[in-house]
Amino acid sequence: MSIKSDGLKEAVESVKAKKSEERMVPTICSLCGPMPGCGVNCYVKDGRLIRVEGMKEAPTNKGTLCPKAFASVQWVYSPQRLRYPLKRVGKKGESKFKRITWDEALDTIASRLSELKQKHGPESLAILAPARRSYCDYLQRFLIAHGSPNYGHSGLCFIQAAFGFAYTLGWPWLNRAGADYEHANLIVVWGANPAYAAAPLGNLRRILDAKERGARLIVIKPEMQPDAAKADIWVPIRPGTDGALALAMLNVIINENLYDADFVSRWCYGFDKLVPHIQRYTPKWAEAITGVPADQIREVARLYGTIKPACIVTGNAFDQTADSNNAVRAVAILIAITGNLDRPGGNIVPTGSTMPMVKSVHLRERYTQDFVDRLVGPEIASCFQPFIEGTSSAYYRCLDSVLTREPYPIRAIIAPGTQPTVITRGSKRVVEALEKLEFFVVIDIMQNSSMPWADIVVPVATMYECDHPFEVMGNWIMARNKVIEPLGEYKSDYEFWLDLGVKMGYGEDFWDGSIEKCMNYQLENFGMTMEELRAHPTGIIYEPKPLVYEKYEKIFATPSPRLSRAPYLPQGKVAIYNTTFEENGFNPLPEWVEPPESPTATPELLARYPLVFFDTHTSDVYNHAWLRNLPYLREIQPDPWIHIHPETAKARGIENGDWVVVESPHGWIKVKALYFDGIRPDVVMGLHGWWQGCDELGLPGYPILDGGANVNIMYSTDPDKAFDPMVTAMPKQTLVEVRKA
Amino acid sequence: MAKQYGFYFDADRCVQCRTCEVACKSVRNIEPGIKWMRVVEIWGGVYPNVTRDFFALACMHCGKPACIEVCPTGAISKRGEDGIVVVDRDKCNGCQDCFSACPYGVPQFGEDGIMQMCDFCAEINIDPACVVSCPTEALNFGILDELLEMAKGKAAKRMGGPTEPSIIIVGKLQLDSLVA
Repeated sequence: MSIKSDGLKEAVESVKAKKSEERMVPTICSLCGPMPGCGVNCYVKDGRLIRVEGMKEAPTNKGTLCPKAFASVQWVYSPQRLRYPLKRVGKKGESKFKRITWDEALDTIASRLSELKQKHGPESLAILAPARRSYCDYLQRFLIAHGSPNYGHSGLCFIQAAFGFAYTLGWPWLNRAGADYEHANLIVVWGANPAYAAAPLGNLRRILDAKERGARLIVIKPEMQPDAAKADIWVPIRPGTDGALALAMLNVIINENLYDADFVSRWCYGFDKLVPHIQRYTPKWAEAITGVPADQIREVARLYGTIKPACIVTGNAFDQTADSNNAVRAVAILIAITGNLDRPGGNIVPTGSTMPMVKSVHLRERYTQDFVDRLVGPEIASCFQPFIEGTSSAYYRCLDSVLTREPYPIRAIIAPGTQPTVITRGSKRVVEALEKLEFFVVIDIMQNSSMPWADIVVPVATMYECDHPFEVMGNWIMARNKVIEPLGEYKSDYEFWLDLGVKMGYGEDFWDGSIEKCMNYQLENFGMTMEELRAHPTGIIYEPKPLVYEKYEKIFATPSPRLSRAPYLPQGKVAIYNTTFEENGFNPLPEWVEPPESPTATPELLARYPLVFFDTHTSDVYNHAWLRNLPYLREIQPDPWIHIHPETAKARGIENGDWVVVESPHGWIKVKALYFDGIRPDVVMGLHGWWQGCDELGLPGYPILDGGANVNIMYSTDPDKAFDPMVTAMPKQTLVEVRKA
Repeated sequence: MAKQYGFYFDADRCVQCRTCEVACKSVRNIEPGIKWMRVVEIWGGVYPNVTRDFFALACMHCGKPACIEVCPTGAISKRGEDGIVVVDRDKCNGCQDCFSACPYGVPQFGEDGIMQMCDFCAEINIDPACVVSCPTEALNFGILDELLEMAKGKAAKRMGGPTEPSIIIVGKLQLDSLVA
């Protein structure tokens, strides 16, 4: 892809302020996602951002930062920044664009959306969700004002685990926000990566502090990532089989009477049905599936069953497997029956702070059954919609409907800060869908891999170039500040949606385009305006409320976000046996569901594809499919890679650093083999999101289909096997062979 | 004895997140390919009983710097007031003898061929960017004696070696493989 970036230097020069002294502007970093929230002090000289440092006053990062934030200067001034709105003039995929004005961009989008709405109904529009950011509610607001339920949410991140926890234990965030590290004597990090995922926000520090005072750490994941390197016990499990391990742990804990009988009899529903149900899930049974020796399964189960208190933190391993809802429910039941729910050192429901409620811009109150019924491909099964993020169709299913036309085709897609070509599964189908799509808008700060198919490209400001919104992280609220003048013709993401709303005739719902009114509306409960909030340069920290434990009556009565507002837990107890699921045609007890391809699911494939492949969701230096164009980061990880055990590699004549072809039944990639002593020898692991080049280092970009480095072409999208029927949760496990390129 | 500044490194807390590496590069505006700070990893054992440790390696401002001894132009010196080892870039002739002499491969040479390395951010007069940004508090810096005091109660010791590196290390760390 080549998009000329001449003139950027001049643009940079033109905004240089006269001042020659350095000044410091505090703001909030958003170089990662979801929900970034590190305070960052920005130093500006001659109108130019020259460096950043962590903000000591921020209760989240406390003066620390991560590598991504430190690449900010290269990010803001990247030659790949988009500078003005573009309109496609060549064929789809050709990357031929022409500069247009903001008015033309907004007019074109508004008139196409209006026309499609009139002809095919408002649901013909889908907006694809980026990693959760504070503008996500504006996307929902626009969709609701327009009349479409099709918020195209990932189908593979975070919400999947939240769903299982909510409908089993009554609260969605028990696994992350709820781990009470400070009081735990055992911490289980399970398929999560606290070292690379927003490390400055504090979870990692809290785990290391706990370890220092003597808490034990068990880390369950296929390779020895840095958190596993710190563990007392590392459990190298086959990707996608965490649910089988959890079921076997239930088997051990129940059969060896290691559960909290009092809690179970008082607060759990259906334990008696669980006991016979889990008899089939023995450690021996799980060993064959997970590759974890039965003895180690027993050891981990006994430790979790006997060391009190203990907390479990689960990660994306639970969101990206066809077994997702089962695996999460099994872990939730483990937490409950061991008496670790909402008790000190277990998985707790935080009590919050004295901060007033921010008024939501979501327009959730306008949902009707009709919205739910018109979802093109529900991410969470319809009977449970809307869920926490509102109504949602699965990201992939929005795209797939363009080809299948089932139940109807999506005709227009807006992709703000997200790249369908590399970020969801089935990239070949996705590209076909983009070829066929009637209208496609890409919104980004940078050239991206989906742009070649866009009809209109909208450039937006970085967080350093706008003075809004405010961000809330826990008990801390802070207004963003404008650090530098925008380098191009930018609006912020927030302004864009307001402006488009006005153009569409939805002005009443969009504060007639006034960002100031929009901000002040949200702050009404605070008794202050955005400018008054801004007068607190590093924001306001509200008093945390004292921790209260064992709030079971309250937690178990939490209303769900469905239209009925019926509580998550109809019995007012932990739903071990889930009658809500049963009534809606799903299994009431957690079962085991194989990945679409695995040594035990498809042994017939092993002769040709003997290794298990999966990819890791987080990276020390990259954020999903971005940041590989920044030299500071790219030199740390210059080439797309797989981690492979040296013995596995040598058996194939592969040297450390050789380029290799990795082939699955669905596609192939070409990457570098990196020897990794701490990975299961029957597994190789890649990283998602490779496509970008880095001109400054002379490093190329990669094709998004076969022969590139995009892991998403490797996985099954079989409608019967590659979706968790309750929460989508598209798997990231397949079988491959690796050979020298 | 004059004050000696040094690093404090807690091997039990470092997760190779690379923050120190990139903080250093961005705050000191360092060119591609050059690293004043890098986090190396040290593997041990055989699967599944493997160990993986990390070490944040920058100039350790040694008590007896080998680089100074071999420098033919006298470009490298140790400051009397704080023991920081600094390079006079005008005097350096780019011979790289210091690189060969340093047991840890610290001296770096960029486009201009002149030696460059960590100076504890002395030149820009801030607390070292690597230290203040470390999200796990694995890194610290200060006067060596005070750092040892700070580490009391932990398995901490000053790193050994003929050049007497100015660094206190907490936790068990097998550093033999670092020595060139």
